[in-house]
Amino acid sequence: MTNQGEGSSQPVDLRQHPSGIVPTLQNIVSTVNLDCKLDLKSIALQARNAEYNPKRFAAVIMRIREPKTTALIFASGKMVCTGAKSEHQSKLAARKYARIIQKLNFPAKFKDFKIQNIVGSCDVKFPIRLEGLAYAHGPFSSYEPELFPGLIYRMKQPKIVLLIFVSGKIVLTGAKVRDETYQAFENIYPVLTEFRKSSQ
Amino acid sequence: MATFELYRRSTIGMCLTETLDDMVSTGTLNPEVAIQVLVQFDRSMTEALETQVKSKVTIKGHLHTYRFCDNVWTFILQDATFKNEEGHEQVGKVKIVACDSKLLTQ
Repeated sequence: MTNQGEGSSQPVDLRQHPSGIVPTLQNIVSTVNLDCKLDLKSIALQARNAEYNPKRFAAVIMRIREPKTTALIFASGKMVCTGAKSEHQSKLAARKYARIIQKLNFPAKFKDFKIQNIVGSCDVKFPIRLEGLAYAHGPFSSYEPELFPGLIYRMKQPKIVLLIFVSGKIVLTGAKVRDETYQAFENIYPVLTEFRKSSQ
Repeated sequence: MATFELYRRSTIGMCLTETLDDMVSTGTLNPEVAIQVLVQFDRSMTEALETQVKSKVTIKGHLHTYRFCDNVWTFILQDATFKNEEGHEQVGKVKIVACDSKLLTQ
């Protein structure tokens, strides 16, 4: 079995990751309330790397390079931060956006920061018989290859949605904390090995 | 048709404005006529760029800053290369202001 501490060469903690594979976090979505009304046009005119097209979308879209993220900033003072690769980076980025808004003379606070979604992915490095898996796990599975090539697996505990592809690539989404992502993968891994496609 | 006043800040536009200012201040030109000339300049520039300029330029560089507000894109590029059929030129820093001409015909 390959130890896949993707992105790092540290050995995998097999107690937490019996499969030896650690899903890589790909996207974190967080929200925070800046707790003050915002004049979006003045923000768009003063801040760098901002887009504001009220005809299309009622928020300023702003980006920073470090951590590489995108923020949606609404007139109500609510903000959504996307694109970070870890919870910590997401919070750091959200703070940086709040700081930018403060520098434009808005009395921005940093209230109710919350991670809303975590997306992870990994590769089990063997092909999977999606049809067999969908049949055996009918209540959780939706596999419509004419619509989408992946099998959509709605796990109940933890409540995570997995996209499982023939190639062995897996996407896990819906987690509020990363352990849910990890747990969901460890739950599905034995199932994936069961439906491993024998190579021709 | 409405036009952008964007090209008044170009070298040719600045020269025209300067000349008109001189003529107005020496009394050889009526200020209203000077304004009319500028408005015609806006139209002519737009039309000339649309119909008489065939060459295309590609600009490539590091995007330092961008902005989209009031339907105007602003880009600040660093170490940009301007390329056309005749060759290419390096520029350390360049600001691009772009308006959507479709908005004028609406």
